[in-house]
Amino acid sequence: MWKVTRKGLLAHKLRLALTAVAIVLGVTFISGTLVLTDTLHATFTTLFGHIYQNVDFEVRGKAAFTDNSGGGGAVRKPIPDSIVSSVRRLPGVAYAEGTVGGYAQFVAPDGQAVTTGGAPTIGLSFDPNPQLSSLRVSSGHGPTTPNQVAMDAGTANKYHFHVGNRVRILLIGPPQTFTISGIVTFGTADNLAGATLAAFDLSTAQHVLGQPGHLSAIDVLTQPGADKAQVQRAIAATLPPGVEVVTGQTVADEATGSINQALSFFSTALLVFAFISLFVGGFTIFNTFSITVGQRTRELALLRIVGASRRQVFRSVLVEALIMGVVASLVGLGLGVLAALGLEALLKGFGITLPTGPLVFASRTVIAALLVGVGVTVVSAIGPARRAVRIPPVAALADYRGEQAESSRRRIVIGSVIALIGVAALVLGLTRPAIQLVGIGAVAIFLGIGMLAPVVARPMSSLIGRPLARLFGIPGRLGRENSMRSPRRTAQTSSALMVGLALVSTIAVFGASLSKSATSSVDNAVSADYIVSASGNGVGGFSASVADAAAKVPGVSATSTVYNGEFEVRRSLTNLTAISTDHLSDTVILRMDAGSGGPALAAGRLLIDSNTATTKHLAVGSVVPVKFAQTGTSTMRVGGIFKPNALLGSYVVGDGFFLAHFNRPLPVAVLLHTGGSTAATTHAVKDGLTAYPNLKIQTRAEFQKSQQAQVNQLLGLVYALLALAVLIALIGIVNTLMLSVFERTHEIGLLRAVGMKRRQVRAMIRSESVILSLFGAIIGVVVGTALGVAFASSLKQQGITDLVIPFGSLVVFLVLAAVLGLAAASWPARRAAKLDVLAAIAAE
Amino acid sequence: MTLTQQPPTEGPVPPTIPAARAVDLVKTYGSDDAVVRALDGVTVEFARGQFTAVMGPSGSGKSTLMHCMAGLDTPTSGQAFIGDQEIGQLDDAGLTQLRRDRIGFVFQSFNLVPTLTAAENITLPADLAGTKVDREWFDYLVGQLGIADRLSHRPNEMSGGQQQRAACARALIGRPDLVFADEPTGNLDSNSSAEMLAFLRRSVSEFHQSIVMVTHDARGAAYADRVVFLADGNVVDELLSPTVDSVLEQMKRLGS
Repeated sequence: MWKVTRKGLLAHKLRLALTAVAIVLGVTFISGTLVLTDTLHATFTTLFGHIYQNVDFEVRGKAAFTDNSGGGGAVRKPIPDSIVSSVRRLPGVAYAEGTVGGYAQFVAPDGQAVTTGGAPTIGLSFDPNPQLSSLRVSSGHGPTTPNQVAMDAGTANKYHFHVGNRVRILLIGPPQTFTISGIVTFGTADNLAGATLAAFDLSTAQHVLGQPGHLSAIDVLTQPGADKAQVQRAIAATLPPGVEVVTGQTVADEATGSINQALSFFSTALLVFAFISLFVGGFTIFNTFSITVGQRTRELALLRIVGASRRQVFRSVLVEALIMGVVASLVGLGLGVLAALGLEALLKGFGITLPTGPLVFASRTVIAALLVGVGVTVVSAIGPARRAVRIPPVAALADYRGEQAESSRRRIVIGSVIALIGVAALVLGLTRPAIQLVGIGAVAIFLGIGMLAPVVARPMSSLIGRPLARLFGIPGRLGRENSMRSPRRTAQTSSALMVGLALVSTIAVFGASLSKSATSSVDNAVSADYIVSASGNGVGGFSASVADAAAKVPGVSATSTVYNGEFEVRRSLTNLTAISTDHLSDTVILRMDAGSGGPALAAGRLLIDSNTATTKHLAVGSVVPVKFAQTGTSTMRVGGIFKPNALLGSYVVGDGFFLAHFNRPLPVAVLLHTGGSTAATTHAVKDGLTAYPNLKIQTRAEFQKSQQAQVNQLLGLVYALLALAVLIALIGIVNTLMLSVFERTHEIGLLRAVGMKRRQVRAMIRSESVILSLFGAIIGVVVGTALGVAFASSLKQQGITDLVIPFGSLVVFLVLAAVLGLAAASWPARRAAKLDVLAAIAAE
Repeated sequence: MTLTQQPPTEGPVPPTIPAARAVDLVKTYGSDDAVVRALDGVTVEFARGQFTAVMGPSGSGKSTLMHCMAGLDTPTSGQAFIGDQEIGQLDDAGLTQLRRDRIGFVFQSFNLVPTLTAAENITLPADLAGTKVDREWFDYLVGQLGIADRLSHRPNEMSGGQQQRAACARALIGRPDLVFADEPTGNLDSNSSAEMLAFLRRSVSEFHQSIVMVTHDARGAAYADRVVFLADGNVVDELLSPTVDSVLEQMKRLGS
């Protein structure tokens, strides 16, 4: 039987290749993601290992919060620099030096702030001891005077800075100009994953980074031969409460850990799309195998006659799938490595220079790729294999007419049950919320609808085909008839596209709602005329002196500064927003449900939004335990409850209170009231803030647009990732059409013999393809719209307040699907048109 | 009939038991309103080492009889035996094994798996069973059938006659208890037909092979030891040591 399978595989190389493409692409996606993230993981581990390899101990503030789920590492309180001298005095300590970190952003020679596309702009102290410093001086020397800075090689190369050049740096206080004393690398990398580095001598760093008299941490070297455990105990004994001493290894592990957290989020997101592609690929494989089993009915029956058992037939189909899965997965694995290289290059193109390291090709990647690729292929082939087993031996005989009595009632029942289970899982998943349940629900819905689709395939094909028949005459009519001939095949072929377009439509509905909500939330949250924020994707803050500078601009009648921070409420870490209490109503729309707004903030009370009040059972006057990184545990009284506000979030305090509880926070936005935004006032505001080139100054309308643009950018990315699934679905259509052309060789020959032109043959195949595509697309768009509405509605509390169905986009999807269907038909159509008439008629 | 050679079959079937027999075999098609009785209580025996032809007009039930007796189709009632094995008692696995090990088939067309070469097609039952092929027997068969130079060809590279001869070799390679041939020469020209029938005849005479052949060709039936005539799902007559003329005469009589 193995021989039959192998020969069969070899005889249908093209069909196999087309089918396998679906798996190849999906596996490429998976293995590429895994290789890339493994590589990054290994590189960062090595990097941090190198950096901390000589640091024996680090003295630092204890983690402020017990809940460290926030990512980006624990929040720590700075420690007084007096600790350094007491540590140095201890026996066994060879060297101890403080370090400081904070915000410092370079200004490029053209006056624009150097942005990083998301990574932080880091200012830090330069430790002259090369054993301790994470920085390596590649040219010049380390900063030694208050007007010197060392710059990371990444920034220096990109903006052509050299040792001796002067560079302006934006700081928490007013911007200052420094002389570049040296160029440094972070370990072996030009920069730290895209972050820029500005290194100052320690006392300058303390001053410009806003921590005079304080340190972020102290690095300690022990004397050779010293008992490290004893030294650690000795250090610990001298430390004041709230300060701890840990090994360098611990610090390296923590740093690697937080990078890994970010990486795993990144890889999970990519893997989700990889699985979507494979899921769609599974539909394609199921369909191809169904068709080929159908076409091989006589052959399989003959095998049964000469003595192949059911098990052998079943196994032969599965082995065929297995081999295809293995080959496709191996190819995908190879391509995945290339894809990882490509992605790395792409990241570099975006200015995120990653530390270089060898590609990591973990055995887990091979196992995962093979398991998933082969698994999807084989599981998809089980249905067709079962059908192959049911072929009776007599089917080999010429006069056998197959019983087509496929029980459609059973299909309807099973399909409906699966779809309903899917809906139930989805609803449960959305209300919980549990994202895995949502995924399972969606998969079940797609499977259920895939089973139900054949029921409507004939009438819908007929309907969709009607205008085509009118447009193309006989060829169009034949195409329509062909698509109606086997409703099951039509439905199966288009189900892959159905899934693809359903997901695209879901995203379209979700995105349109998100975009609209972003607009209206700005309308409902902000009354200021100008919103000043940090450029560079709004990540990070800017100098605290901006508000004062803005207030001096003529025409600006009120300014509010907005801060963001984290604190613990009832032991869970959450975001806190702070806003200036003066002129509140000129800049922010605060609609109170209960209590007071501005006065409560001024009095140091906590404001919460009504959703939080409901879910946490809080009312005006409630007293909640809170904890701040700098000031520790205390309680706060709820002073008011406001209607949800996109700008303010769930918890709000006044700026005075915030500044008292946070260590030199950076503003994230400054809101300006000018009584209307004219070109003149815009000009004046921009003029007044030229000293801060890292600012984005937007009118309210511009701010809205940029919010929408952010949403659209994200949507674009998601569409791009889903495009792969749609591509796989189209390859499935090409494959089916090729098989149909092959199957109908005799028929096409007959049509040609009685006078059908080549052009008409092509039109016939194309009509069929367009009908297949539109059928899948229409169901997909309908299902996807429903899913999108469900998603968007379930996130009403989370800020998706408006539900928008983008009919225009959905129509575009349908048109696009028809066009893509035409494109998919081009090869099969050409092939059909090229058939030799005589040979075709002779074909049995 | 005298045995000129020790029969190749070492099967458990004692010579007294026929190679196959049907007892009151009934096969109906269709639902209550329009029942077609393809077999209407057929009782027939096919002796071992004999070449039997089954004849009859279209719709007489000759193919249905063959399918039911070969385990390809299930009778509505009655019993069919291969040797002493009642095939109605076999499940699918048992039937498969029966077909593989004890029955050979030659059909009018589509006898060969298109992706396999002639040689691979011939050894297919043995390969499916996972048993070794008797190389000597294989060489003898392909030599006798004149397809030794065609063994590496695929079916679409062979003539119709060559394909049928390869099918013949496959049917005989396992030395089955019985070969069912369903219009084996139906698609062949007269030369190829004659060669094929002569070979079947020889395999009965020389190797004591039992063969049941469904045909509507009197010349073909004349190669047989015995002709069974079917009409309307019943055995209506039979003829021993037939000639072309006697068969034609009989058919004429039945037709009128």
